[in-house]
Amino acid sequence: MRYYFRISKDICFKSFSLISALLTFGILALGLWLIVLKGFSAVSFDFISSSMSQGGLSGGILYQIIGTFILIFTVLLIVSPLSVGIALLRSFYLKNDKSRKIFTTFLYVINGIPSIIFGIFGFFLFVKFFGWGKSWLTGGILLSMMILPTVSLSLSEGISRIPKDYIESAKSLGLSSSAVIFSVVLPQSFSSFISGLLLGLARAAGETAPLLFTATIFSGADIPGGIKESPILSLPYHIFTLAQESYQPQALENAWGSVFVLILIVVFFSALALPFRLKSHEEANV
Amino acid sequence: MAIYRLDRFFKDKELSGTMVFSILFSAFVFLFLAALIFFLFIEGFPALKREGLQFFTEANWFFRISEYKAASMIYGTFMVSLIAIFIAAPIGFGASVFISEYLSGSPRFFAKSIIELLAGIPSVVYGLLGILFLQPFLYKNFDLNSGDTLLTAGVLLSIMILPTIITLSDDAFRSVSSEERETSLSLGLTKEETFFSTVFPKALPGFIVAILLATGRALGETIAVFLVVGRADNRLPNSLFDLDPVFKAGQTLTSKLGGSEIFIAYGNPEHWSSIVALGLFLFVFVMGCVLIGDLILIYRDKSRI
Repeated sequence: MRYYFRISKDICFKSFSLISALLTFGILALGLWLIVLKGFSAVSFDFISSSMSQGGLSGGILYQIIGTFILIFTVLLIVSPLSVGIALLRSFYLKNDKSRKIFTTFLYVINGIPSIIFGIFGFFLFVKFFGWGKSWLTGGILLSMMILPTVSLSLSEGISRIPKDYIESAKSLGLSSSAVIFSVVLPQSFSSFISGLLLGLARAAGETAPLLFTATIFSGADIPGGIKESPILSLPYHIFTLAQESYQPQALENAWGSVFVLILIVVFFSALALPFRLKSHEEANV
Repeated sequence: MAIYRLDRFFKDKELSGTMVFSILFSAFVFLFLAALIFFLFIEGFPALKREGLQFFTEANWFFRISEYKAASMIYGTFMVSLIAIFIAAPIGFGASVFISEYLSGSPRFFAKSIIELLAGIPSVVYGLLGILFLQPFLYKNFDLNSGDTLLTAGVLLSIMILPTIITLSDDAFRSVSSEERETSLSLGLTKEETFFSTVFPKALPGFIVAILLATGRALGETIAVFLVVGRADNRLPNSLFDLDPVFKAGQTLTSKLGGSEIFIAYGNPEHWSSIVALGLFLFVFVMGCVLIGDLILIYRDKSRI
């Protein structure tokens, strides 16, 4: 009797976890399937190569795509040097475990800040206080701050996995500490850096909330010419606006097309990160 | 492989350009964070001082007549997150048990990659799916007046935070060594008994942290909630057990902060300060989750060593 009770408990446990997993994958697969189904038919060469007209009801999303890539590129330029500096400070220059823990908590705090708070703060500081108006650069700075913890923690973990002998050998050859960092540490942790960077950029590409008041408008912008009063269009904001007008079939059709392109960009960056992630795990097993 | 001890590496005390730059960059980021927190407190505090406790207890937000009482938004944020966690925690637990205990090798790697890929899907995409499919579904099946409700936002959020819960709890369960599992199985325990007697007690801190971080994400999620929550101000339940407002349109802190009221608010110090105070609350709630999670991890690692 006791035996059967135990076995049935085990079966319940297994079925519960199996059902949960099937439910999760089922819902997510359904979502992806809908995006591909509805999105694919809405995308054409014309759609991605022409600019929007009639308030998003017709035309394409050329400048939304360009705007999204301007943001990604800005984030790339800002976040790369900053994250290298932060990762080096965390892994090398901090002298004891306690300060390292506090520094890590500081990164977790930035990582945890809700995106809309970045938006409100950016609106206050850049748009109003600095008087920039809406600008692509504000968007780039805010998104950089948001993904900075992801990138620097990934790099810092990569650095901590470098075998100690490498660094000691380099040091014993008489290299200065900067030379050790540039010739051994950074090249050896490169794949961790790239995988963190790509995952961060994928996240940045899809963000809407921090850009609402600071960088993006719905129509009437193309390539920004300066910093002040230079808003851009972006895919997430385009979808966000069209979603609120989704009772119009034409708006909905264009929203699906934009979703499809955005998902392609995000998945492209995430998938590109995969080989680098595998490589950084291999490095760990040397 | 511990982090390389630089106490030995840099004992020569040389001050290199690399070091200077790395300290400068970090200081810049620290300054940004400090400015953000400073901004929330300085700009938000006047509203708290002016409105006092009523800011949390009354649902009365009419900016045209200078009434700023935020209880309904705080209520909305809590209910939405509560619904999301209530749905996502058990399912996420089950799914992560399946991935960590019943899958191995490449199926496990595949499942995990898919989950992490899905964690990266932009919230605006979830929002659109919510508008088009979840909202009509709940409208039909729950006999609601409108599909835009706190419930809709909660259910949508539960789907959005599932990948976070699953991948973090899977990490926690996997951090228990397989030797311990095998020992327990070889003593004749079933998989279920093995899990609850060896894996789960050790992984519990990690699981709690997963739930906390997912809660933080649910509290702060803006765009998807904005699109399906209905954005109706000033709705509160009559009593503690009155669930009626959950099935009606509501407002959360984030959906308020994401609205175009921000542009109107900036010109009026009272209004602006009240808006920033909403942001301050949101920040405090989310940071509570993040910091408690961090403390649990620090304590766990300390007790393990």
